[in-house]
Amino acid sequence: MVFSSLIFLYAFLPCTLLLYFLTPKSGKNLVLLAASLVFYAWGEPRYLILIVVSILLGYGFGLAIEHFRGRRSARIFLVLSVVTSIGILACFKYADFFLETINGLLGAKLPLWKLALPIGISFYTFQILSYTIDLYRGTAAVQRNVLDFATYVVLFPQLIAGPIVRYREIALELRSRKHDIATACAGAERFVLGLGKKVLLANHLGLLCQAYRATAEPSVLYAWLYAISFALQIYFDFSGYSDMAIGLGGILGFHFPENFRYPYIAASITEFWRRWHISLSSWFRDYVYIPLGGNRVSKPRWMWNILVVWGLTGLWHGAGWNFLAWGLLFALLLIGEKLLWKRPLERHPWFGHFYVIFWVILSFVLFNAESFLQAAADLGALFGAGGLPLRSLEGLYMLRSNLILLLLAGIGATPLPKLLFQRVQATQVGIRALSVIQPLAIAALLLLSTAYLVDGSFNPFLYFRF
Amino acid sequence: MKRQIITLILLAALLLAGGGAMLASNHIVSMSERRKLAQWPSLRWQAVLTGSFRDEAEKAASDQFPFRDSFRRLKAYVQFGLLGQRDNNGIYVVHGTASKLEYPLREHAVERAAEKFQAIWETYLSESDVKCYYSIIPDKNYFLAQQNGYPAMDYDKLRQIMADGLPNFTYLNLFDSLSIEDYYTTDPHWRQERLQPVVQVLTDGLGVPFSWDYTKQTIEPFYGAYYGQSALPLQPDQLVYLTSRSMDACSVYNLETDSYGGIYDLEKGAGRDPYELYLSGAAAFQVIVNPNAQTQRELVVFRDSFGSSLIPLLADSYQKITLVDLRYISSSLLSQYLDFQQQDVLLLYSTLILNNSTALK
Repeated sequence: MVFSSLIFLYAFLPCTLLLYFLTPKSGKNLVLLAASLVFYAWGEPRYLILIVVSILLGYGFGLAIEHFRGRRSARIFLVLSVVTSIGILACFKYADFFLETINGLLGAKLPLWKLALPIGISFYTFQILSYTIDLYRGTAAVQRNVLDFATYVVLFPQLIAGPIVRYREIALELRSRKHDIATACAGAERFVLGLGKKVLLANHLGLLCQAYRATAEPSVLYAWLYAISFALQIYFDFSGYSDMAIGLGGILGFHFPENFRYPYIAASITEFWRRWHISLSSWFRDYVYIPLGGNRVSKPRWMWNILVVWGLTGLWHGAGWNFLAWGLLFALLLIGEKLLWKRPLERHPWFGHFYVIFWVILSFVLFNAESFLQAAADLGALFGAGGLPLRSLEGLYMLRSNLILLLLAGIGATPLPKLLFQRVQATQVGIRALSVIQPLAIAALLLLSTAYLVDGSFNPFLYFRF
Repeated sequence: MKRQIITLILLAALLLAGGGAMLASNHIVSMSERRKLAQWPSLRWQAVLTGSFRDEAEKAASDQFPFRDSFRRLKAYVQFGLLGQRDNNGIYVVHGTASKLEYPLREHAVERAAEKFQAIWETYLSESDVKCYYSIIPDKNYFLAQQNGYPAMDYDKLRQIMADGLPNFTYLNLFDSLSIEDYYTTDPHWRQERLQPVVQVLTDGLGVPFSWDYTKQTIEPFYGAYYGQSALPLQPDQLVYLTSRSMDACSVYNLETDSYGGIYDLEKGAGRDPYELYLSGAAAFQVIVNPNAQTQRELVVFRDSFGSSLIPLLADSYQKITLVDLRYISSSLLSQYLDFQQQDVLLLYSTLILNNSTALK
C-alpha cells in the first residue's frame, strides 16, 4: 500500500485512526502493529514472513546483547545481528548484481536468483540495525516486549519510504505517548501537504520524465527539461512521502525526525547532504563513517572512509553500477570541497548554489539511468553529444506545457512559501484570516489531490529499488 | 484551537464520507467515459498472494469513487486553467474542438500495416481480376496539431511509407477533401453529412456513379469519445445521419451475430456510443446488399470505424459491399468468407490505426 492511493486515504487510514483512538492506551500498539502488518501485506503479501523473521531476529539479538552486556558474547551477538540483517538485505537486493558482475568479469554463466525485492527492506533493515548497535553501545534500552519492538519496525508511517527512525528516538513514545488536538492537526496538515507534493507536483513531473524517455525527438533542451524535472520529481516525491510519514506519526503521537530541509538551497554538497535524506546520511555517519574513524585519521584514510561511506550510500539506493557511481561522485565532490574549493564556495555563496544545483542535477541523471550506457547517453544529451539538435518541437511543447508547473515546483523547493506563510501568521489580520482560510485550504488540497488520484493512473513508487 | 478542531473535523468528514461512499458504490458503466467501470473484487486468497486482488481493488477504488466525473472535471480545470497545461491525459482543445495527441509517427507500425495489406494482395488478389485501391483518412490532428503548437506525426512520411509498401494499389487521396469542420468536435470521427467531397473522390477513383440525394436525420446531443476523456464541459455535437429510399432498402448481414439489419441501428444510436448507429458499430465482417444499386458491381472494403459512416454512402454505387475489419478478424481467415473475383477492393484506414497497426490481425 502507498499513502497516495485512494484505498489508503479513504479506507485504510480512516479505519485505522478510528480503531486507534477508540482503543485504550494499553492496546494502541497492538492496533498499530496489526494495521502496519495489513499495510505491508497489501503491497507485499509474500514477504510478510521475511519481515516477521527480521523482527524476531532483531528482537532476539537485542535480548542476547542485553543479557551478555559487558561480555565478549554481546559483541558476538551484535556481529550476528549485523551479518544476518545485511545478509538478508544482500540476498534479496544485491545477489543478482554480484552474480551479473562475476558473469561479466569472468565470463561465467552463474544463474541469477531473480528474487523480487521486498518493499522497504532497506529501511527496516537499517532500523533494526540501529536498534542492536545502539543497544550494544548503551545508547538505547532493550525492548523486551516483542510486540512493541515489532510495532517499532513495521510502523506503517515510515515502513516503506522512511524516514529511517532510530529506536532510541521513539523508545519513550512507544511506551507512552501523548495525543492532543494541536499535534494531531499539525500532523494532519503536514500529511495533506505531503500528499499534495507527491500527487500534484511529483507525479506530474514524473509524466514529463516518462515522455522524455519515450520521445523520438530528443534535443538538448528536452534533455535539460528531463534532468531538471527528475531532480524536482525525486525531491517532491521523497520529501512529500517524508512529510506524510512525519504527519501520520504526529497524529499517532510519535515525533519522527525531519528528513529534508530544503536541500536545493544548499551552497555546497556538504550542506546539501545535511539537508537531503537526513536520516540516511546521519545513519551512515553514525554507524559506518565514525566507526571507521571519521575524519580523525590520516588524510588518505579519511578519503578512503569517505569513498566507502558514499559508495555504500549509492548502493543502498540501488543494486547497480550507476548507483555506485552516483555515490562515488558525491564522495569526490565532498573530498574536493574539504581539500580544495571550500574557501571559494564560502566566499561566493551564489556560485555555490549554482554549483550544487548543477552537480545534483547531473547526479540524478546518473541515478535514474537503467544502465551505465543509458547514463552516458543521458549525460551526453545534456551537452549535445552525438549531434543532438538544440531543440525539438516536442521538447518545446513540453516546456510550454509544463512551464507553470516547473516554476511552482522550483519555488516550492525553497523556503519562500513557508516564510511568506509565517509572515502572514505573525500579524493579527493574518491569524484571523488563516483561522478560516487554512482549514479550507487544507480540505481543498485533499480534494484536489483526490481529483488527481481519481483521474490518474500514473502514480509511481520511486523507492521500489530501496 | 478552534481552527485546529475545524481542520480535523473537515478532514475526518471528507475521509469518512468519501471512504464510505466509495466502498458502498457499485456503478457498472460510465456513460461519460463510455466504458465499464471496474468492480470491487471478491476476496480470493490466491489473488491476495499474487497481488492481483490489490491491483483490482485499487482500480475499483478509482472507478467507484463518488462524484468521479466531478473530480475528473476539477482536475481538468486545474490542468488547463491553473497550470496552463496544454493537454490533459493527451486530450487538447482548440477553439472548442477536442482531439487526442497522436505522435510521433511509428514508422515500424505503418510499415507493418503496409506489409499486412501487401500480404493480402499476394495471398488473395494477385491472381484475381480485382482492382485494388487504398485511401488514408487523416485524423483531426492533421488539421489541428502543428498549426496550434501541438506535436504531430509526420503525415507526409506516413503517406510515403504506405505508397512504397503498396505498389499494387491505386491511391485515392482524401487529405485535400477534408477540413477540421468535417469532424465532430467531441469525437475522433468525421461527420457523415459532410462527406460529399470524400464520396466524390472515391466514386471517381473507383469508377462508379456518384449520387448524393439524402435526407438528414438528427440525434442530439451527441457526446463523443473525447467529451468524457477531456472531462471538460464541451458543447455536445449534433449527430446527423443520412437516409434515402435506396438506403432504406439495403440489408446488412453481420457474420458474428449471423443476423440481418439495416444501415442504421437506432437502438445503438441512443446508447453509450451513438456513433454505433452506423452499421451497428464495430464488426469483423458485414455485407451490405442494395437491390436498388446503380450498378451490379461489388466492393470489398478493409476498414476501421471511420468506414462505418462512409461506406453506406457508397451503397448506391455497388449492389454488394463487403466490409472487413482486420481488428476483429484475421486476414488468414478471409478465404473462408470471401471469394475475390471481379470486385473492387478498397483499403480504407485512418492514420490512427496505421500508426498503431498492432491492432490489425
